[in-house]
Amino acid sequence: MRASALRGLLPGHAVSAAAPVEATAATSGTRVAGRYRTALKALLIEQGRNHTALLLLVGFVPLWYGLMVVLVPADAVAFRFRVTGQFLQVNGQQLSLITAGLNAITLIVGFVLFSATRRGMAFDRRLALAGYPRGTLLWAKLTALTLVSAAVALYASVVLLAFWRPGGLLLIFAGCFCAALTYGAFGFLLGVLVRGELEGFFLVIMLSLMDAFLQNPIGNPAANKDLLAYFPTFAPTQLAVAGGFTSAFPDRYIGLALAWAAAFALLGSLIFAVRTRIAGRRTANARPPAAINLGG
Amino acid sequence: MTAATEPVLEARDLRRTYGRHKVLNGVSFAVRPGELVGIVGENGAGKSTLLKILAGELRPDTGDVLLRGGAGYCPQLPVLNEALSVQQHLDYFAAAYALHDLSYADALVQKLAFSQYRAARVGALSGGTRQKLNLTLALMHRPGLLLLDEPYQGFDWETYLRFWDLALDCRAQGVAVLVISHLLFERERFDRIAHLRGGRIEEYRP
Repeated sequence: MRASALRGLLPGHAVSAAAPVEATAATSGTRVAGRYRTALKALLIEQGRNHTALLLLVGFVPLWYGLMVVLVPADAVAFRFRVTGQFLQVNGQQLSLITAGLNAITLIVGFVLFSATRRGMAFDRRLALAGYPRGTLLWAKLTALTLVSAAVALYASVVLLAFWRPGGLLLIFAGCFCAALTYGAFGFLLGVLVRGELEGFFLVIMLSLMDAFLQNPIGNPAANKDLLAYFPTFAPTQLAVAGGFTSAFPDRYIGLALAWAAAFALLGSLIFAVRTRIAGRRTANARPPAAINLGG
Repeated sequence: MTAATEPVLEARDLRRTYGRHKVLNGVSFAVRPGELVGIVGENGAGKSTLLKILAGELRPDTGDVLLRGGAGYCPQLPVLNEALSVQQHLDYFAAAYALHDLSYADALVQKLAFSQYRAARVGALSGGTRQKLNLTLALMHRPGLLLLDEPYQGFDWETYLRFWDLALDCRAQGVAVLVISHLLFERERFDRIAHLRGGRIEEYRP
C-alpha cells in the first residue's frame, strides 16, 4: 500500500482536493468536531431508515427466542466453561436462548453494516473528493458501528427477559455487544471489500451460522474442542454463559471478545482508506471567484 | 498575462496507460475563466480516464493538472445517499467544502427550482430532481471550474433547460465550464470544442 493511501486519516489532516478554504474563522479543532458530528448524524439517520433491519429486530429476535423455548427441551447439557476450565451442567433451553440471541444479533448487525457500507462507498468517495477528511468519516463510521451494536445488544438483552430471567444480565449484554460489534465490523470489512451484494450477504450468513451453531453443545456435541476458541463468538458466548449460569466475572474474555472486532475494523479501515484515496492535483493559490449572481 | 486571464485549469502532457493500451497519449489543454469548453470523444477514447484525472480521482502516469480556484465535479450518474434528504446532503457537503453558510447553495436550489423537495428523502425523488441535486453539490462551493461528465444523460427536458440557464449564468460570472461527452448538442453555445482521439486532443473552434 502506498503511503498516500493513509494521508488524511488522522482527524484534522484533510486532503482537500477541491475546496477553496472558506471558513478561516473556525479553528481547525471545532471544524473537525463539526464534521464528525455531521457525518455521525447522517450515518445514524441512514441506519434508522433501514426499515428491513428494524423489522428483523422486532420480528426475528423474539421469534427466534420463542422457538427455542417451544422446541428445545430444558434438559441439562454439559457446557465447557473455559473461564474455570470445568464442564457446567446447564439448562439446554436457556443455553440455546443465549446462542440463538447471539446468532440473531450477529446476522442483523452484519447485514446492516455490510449493506450500508457497500452502498455508501461511491458517496464516501465523492465526499472525500469534495474535501471531507477521510479520517473523520472513518471515525464517524466506527462510532456509528459501536452505537448500533450497543442498541441492538441492549434490545436483544431486554427482549430475552420475556423468556428467561438470568442472574447476570450485564454480562449477557456484554456478550451480545461484543458479538454485535464483531459482526458489525465484519460487515463493514465486507462492505469495503466485496463488490456484489449477494456475496456479502452469503458470507455474513455462513460465518454467523457456523460460528453460533458450533458454540452450542446441543447442535455440536463436541463443543469442547480447543479450535472453537478461535471463532468470533467464542468469547461472547463464554461471557454470556458466565452471566447466565455462574457468578464469575471473566473480564479477560471481554478483551478477547473485542480482539476479533478490532481486527475486522482495522482491516476494513485500511481498505476504506485505499478505496477512498484521492490522487490529488496541484492547486495554485487563487482567490475563489466572487459570489456568482444567480438572479435573473 | 494578467491574473484574470490565467487558466483555471491547465492539463500538461497527461499520459495514462492500462497494460499495453495507451489511453491518454499526451493530452494538453487549458481552460480560462468564463469559458464553456466541450470535449467530445467516442466510447473508449479515454474520456472517463481524462475526467477522473481532472477530478483528482486518478493519478496520471506522467503529466500534470494545475487548478486555480477549485473545481466542482458533477458525475454522470447522481452520486447521492438515498436515505438522506436534500437538506441533509447540502449540510453534509457544506461540511466537506468547509463553507460558512448555505446561502449560495440556497440560491442554486432556487435557480434549479427544487426548493419544495428540501425535506424529501433522495430515495423518493424523481431522476430529474436527483440530477439537480447532483449538480448543486458540484457547484455549491463556488468553484472556478465546473467539470461535467455526460451531463445530458438522465436529464429530463426541464432539467436540461435549467441546466443551460445555469451554465450560461456561470460563464457570465467568470466560472469555466468543461463538458465531457460522447455527443454535444447545441454546439454553437460552446466557446471551444475539442476532440479526444487516439489519446490526444484535437482542437478547433465551433
